[in-house]
This record gives sequence, structure tokens and C-alpha cells, in this order.
Amino acid sequence: MTNGRHPDEPRDADLITRLAIRRRISRRHFLAGTGAGLGALALAGCAPAPAGSATPPAGANLGDTLNLATWPNYHSQDVLDNFTADTGVAINVGVYGSTEEMEAKIRAGSSGIDVVVPSNYAIEGWVADKLIEPLDYAKMPTFVKADWNSRFMDQAFDPGNEYSLPKNWGTTGIAYRSSKVTEDITTWKQFFDLCANKYAGRGLIVDHQISSFGSAAVAMGFSLNTIDPKEMAEVEAMLIALKPKLFAISSDVQPPLRALDTWLSVAWTGDGVQVGRDNEDARYVVAADGGELWIDSYTVAADAPHKDAAYAFIDYITQPAQAAKETEFCLFPHANDKATALLAAEVSDNPVIYPSAESLVKLEYAVNATYNSAERAEAWARIKASA
Amino acid sequence: MKASSRVADGRSRRHGVAALLVLPTALWYVGFLVAPLVVLMVMSFGERSPNGGYAPAFTLEQYGNLTTRLTPLTNTLGLAALNTVICLLVAFPIAYTLALKVVGSWRLVLVALVVVPFWTSFLIRTYAWMTLLGANGVPRILGWIGLGDIQLLNTPFAVSLGIVYNYLPLMVLPIFVSLERLDRSLIEASRDLGAGPVATIRQVVLPLAAPGILSGIVLVFIPVMGEYLIPILLGGGKTYFLGNALADLFLQSRNWPFGSALASVFVVGMILLVAGYLALTRRLVRAGRETSLL
Repeated sequence: MTNGRHPDEPRDADLITRLAIRRRISRRHFLAGTGAGLGALALAGCAPAPAGSATPPAGANLGDTLNLATWPNYHSQDVLDNFTADTGVAINVGVYGSTEEMEAKIRAGSSGIDVVVPSNYAIEGWVADKLIEPLDYAKMPTFVKADWNSRFMDQAFDPGNEYSLPKNWGTTGIAYRSSKVTEDITTWKQFFDLCANKYAGRGLIVDHQISSFGSAAVAMGFSLNTIDPKEMAEVEAMLIALKPKLFAISSDVQPPLRALDTWLSVAWTGDGVQVGRDNEDARYVVAADGGELWIDSYTVAADAPHKDAAYAFIDYITQPAQAAKETEFCLFPHANDKATALLAAEVSDNPVIYPSAESLVKLEYAVNATYNSAERAEAWARIKASA
Repeated sequence: MKASSRVADGRSRRHGVAALLVLPTALWYVGFLVAPLVVLMVMSFGERSPNGGYAPAFTLEQYGNLTTRLTPLTNTLGLAALNTVICLLVAFPIAYTLALKVVGSWRLVLVALVVVPFWTSFLIRTYAWMTLLGANGVPRILGWIGLGDIQLLNTPFAVSLGIVYNYLPLMVLPIFVSLERLDRSLIEASRDLGAGPVATIRQVVLPLAAPGILSGIVLVFIPVMGEYLIPILLGGGKTYFLGNALADLFLQSRNWPFGSALASVFVVGMILLVAGYLALTRRLVRAGRETSLL
């Protein structure tokens, strides 16, 4: 669980330091969710150029700016700096707490955003509403399809990866502190039972319809993506009864789990890795009864003002060497097998980051219909409004 | 030039200057108040497009759906009223002491201390409360003295505490201002005429402080009605305010028309509230009492 700790291995010293100094922030940190965390960080192109890592197309004029809409703590500063050094394109990083927030920006139009990194469930709707454009693979000369893991490519939400290329993927699982929770939690059913009974007041579910309502549906034997009225009514009743016994409905997963305000929690891969790195007793499990598997992908906004730069950037950052650096920084698994092969062993062998293939079999991707179901949104609103 | 025309000329020039001076304010109001409200109103008659956002239409459907947000509305109204009253009960003695009991430079220092917390970000102060109320804060101390396993964070109590703490200065200051201007000889007269301390406060101080109290109530009640962060941070998302319902409609359901309808009704409600407040203060003024801040 805590494979992140190998302080005596000099080869990993750099990685360990970077892990240690990173801000402890949840991926979908509420700050970003409220807009308070929105901010752009301009990265000046002053870093020295590394030896031959970027391959900007010869003679292409990429301009001098790229606006990236992405998640907190998701990108290696080195990688971004090197791109800037090689191409002269400075990257403005806009940090968002949810896909929905990114969508609010690009749907409003004229956002100036070039590259967006949404989760899988949004892509179909964005394609239908022409918010993103088909990827121009001709402008991504180093892309090699054979390097990518077919488990995460060519999915129903974007056949043939026409519009999106994976950044990192992850799971929605159960994080808990084994010093307080005496059971080995293995399923969502067990998780919700424990939250409602033995550990009342100590459980947390995230403030996200797909992940929390979906996991509760799985606990009751339904699909993560259920939009069947009868099934949804059952899930809603269960969650309304559970709500008074929860510590919180909040996407700020890590602080209460670290402080032992919560003992068990719905969490995303990154929360599991980061809390586990700092606490011996922290566990993160992919539930055996199912749950959510997700992919965040690079997409290009249809009204992107800097398209050439956008493609040069996606081409660069998905190269195995860069993707490996990115993965060692953000600690979410990557879909590029060549990148995974380059990872430090404590990242690629960490079962929290790279769960076994068998544990993923029952997981589902959330689909567009779930993301856009008015009935599910209303059920979630009723749950949140209930006393 | 005849005198009369010179006067007319000067008057129109003065009008021109006045118009020019008003222009920035007018542009500000049109650009940042009227225009967004118009957008909000227009959107509220639209439909949610199948993949989220706004699709042009003319339907009252969104307004028909408003009843589904009755729970957050009653939650918010109840908690805003309750917390405004708590604020008032806490603020009045503070303002009274500052205005009438403390003298000299101490008063300045103490009034400054009421304002000082505002120099730190609201978010940071609220985060500090999260630490204080969390398992490693006050509950642990309570545990040491044998009070068992008490949860403070993410309870209605924590939400109220956060609201009262954050909005208290907005209640203290207007009451302080109206009490400070109070003619002390009236209090002495009241005492001389045989009224006890309670009767003096009830019959002399309170009526004279009424404009300040009214301002304080409005200054606290309206922002608390729109409160969004405190229920999330100190209520753990379990106390659901109208502000949270609105944020969810835009940022989770991506139902802009419904969100717009809810926001429109909310804005109109608040405008009516302020109009009621202004009418009330006008009546107070007509009754010979001084006007207040707002």
C-alpha cells in the first residue's frame, strides 16, 4: 500500500522529494469546485532546453501561448517547462475541480481554452454539441497507436479516439483507515452498510452524482449507470436514510480522512495513493462488486485560438517519456503501455495506482446518459436537500 | 447675453456635467447588473439542451419545477432567520458596550478589533474553524475531560457558528453607529424619571437603535440567504442552502434554464425584501427618527 516509500534508494530520491512536497489536495478539490481555486499560472519559457525530448514540427509556427483547462496537481512542471523551452509556447494552466466546471467554461464560448481534459462521460455530449473538434492526428506525428493499452482506447464514448486521447485513468474506490475500521472492506455493499451502522458518523461520500449515486447503485446490485426509475428510487431512499449518518457529502476527501474525522470514504485513485503514502493504516480498494472506471482525455476545443500549439502539446505530452514523467508526478495510471514500462517500480508496481486487471473487470465507465439524466440529477438534489 | 438665457445656459451645462458624472455609474449598473439580470430572465424561459446548458425556447416549465426546490428554500429561510436573530442577540450587547460603556481611545481599539478578522480571507477563517471543530480540535479536548465522542464539525451547530462568526461585524457596526449617536442625556432622563435599566433599554435605547438594528438585520440576512460556502465547509454538504441548490444546478446538473429561473425568483424576492426595508426606514424617518446606513 505504501510503496511510495523507499528513502534509501538514491535513484528514487528525486521522485520521493517531489511526492513529499506536493500539496495534499484532492483531485476534485472543492476549492476548484467553488471557483475559488480557479486560477491561471503562466509559465514563462525560460527553462533550459533538455536534450532532444520534444519534436515540434519543423517550420511550424505554433504561436506563443496555449491555454490548458485541467485538474489540480495533474501535470509535471518539468514536462510543461520543457515543452515551453522547446517550442516557445507558454502554457497557461487553468485548474478546475470538475468536468462540469470545464464544460461551463467552454459551453459559454470564447473561453480562450485550447486543450481541455474532461472525464469520459462528458465527451459524447461535447461532440454532439460541437464543443470539441476531431483530433487532427496529422499534426501529432509521434503518436503511435500500438503503444496504447486497448483497455482504454477506442471506447464507446469515443470510437477510434476520434476526439480524445487519454491523459490518465483511475478508479472510484473505497479508502479507509484500518486502524479504526477493523473489517477488510471489499465491496460497496459492505461500505454502505458500515457507513449506516457500525461506523455511523465516520463515512463520507463524494459530492458527485456519478461517483456516489453510482457506487450506491452498485451496492444495491444495480448498474453504476442505472437510470431505471424503480432502481433509482431505491438508491435514493437508501441514500436519504444514510445521509444523517454520514460525516459529509464532500469532494474534499483527503483532509477528514487524514485527520480521522472520517474512517471510510468514497475516493478516487489519487486520494488513495496520497493518503496511503502518508499513513501506514490507510487502504484503498477497488470494490469487488463493481464501480466506476474513468479516463480523463485530452481534447481540443472547437473554438481553440491556438490549435497548432494544442496539437503540438498533446503530441508531446503523450509521448511515452513525457507521459511517464506525468504519471510519476500525478500518480494516476497511464493508458500508454510504453509510458508505464518507463515508470519507477514503486509507481508501476503499486497496486493502488495500477490495480490488477482482474479487479477492473466488473468496473463500468459512466456514460453520457448518466451524466445528462435529469432524473438522476434531481434524485441527487433531493438526497442533498433531505434532512 | 440676457441674464435669463445665461441662467438657462448655465443650467444646461450643469446638466451636461451631471450626466457625464453619472455616466460611469450608469454604465456600471447597466453592464454588470441590468444586463446579467436580463440574460438570467431570458434563460429562465428556455429549456435545458439534451447535453446540458441552454436551448432557446419560451416555456414556463422551469418555473413550474420550482416547487422541487422548496426544501432548500425553507432550509435557507429558516436558518437565515435563526442565525440573523442569533447575530442580533450577540451583537447588541457588544455594540451597546462599545458605544455606551467604553470611553476614550479604548473604544477605537475595540471597534477596530471587531473589524480586524475581515483582514484575513473569509475562506482561511472558515478553514480554521474546520480544524478547530474537527476530530483533532475541540472534540478531542472535550474527550479529555470525559465528554466522550462529540461531533461538532458538519453539524447544524457548526453552520450556525460559522455564519454568526462571519457575519457578526455586519450586525455590530450599524448598531454601534446608531447607539453612538444616541443622546446620553435621554438615558439619564429615563433613569431620573424612574425607569430601571431594563425599561430604559426597552423604551429608550432600543427604539433609537431601531434603524441600526434594521440595517444590521438586512446586511446579515441577505448575504446569509445566498450563503454557499459555509454549508459546504462547516456543514459537510449536509445542510443544503438555496445557494448550494443553485450551484448544483449550474455545475452538476448543467441545467442553466432551471438555475436561471430559481436565481430570478431569488433575486426578485431579495429586491422585495430590500424594498420592504426601505419602506420601513422611510416610515421611521417620517416618525422623526434618524435614517440609517443603507
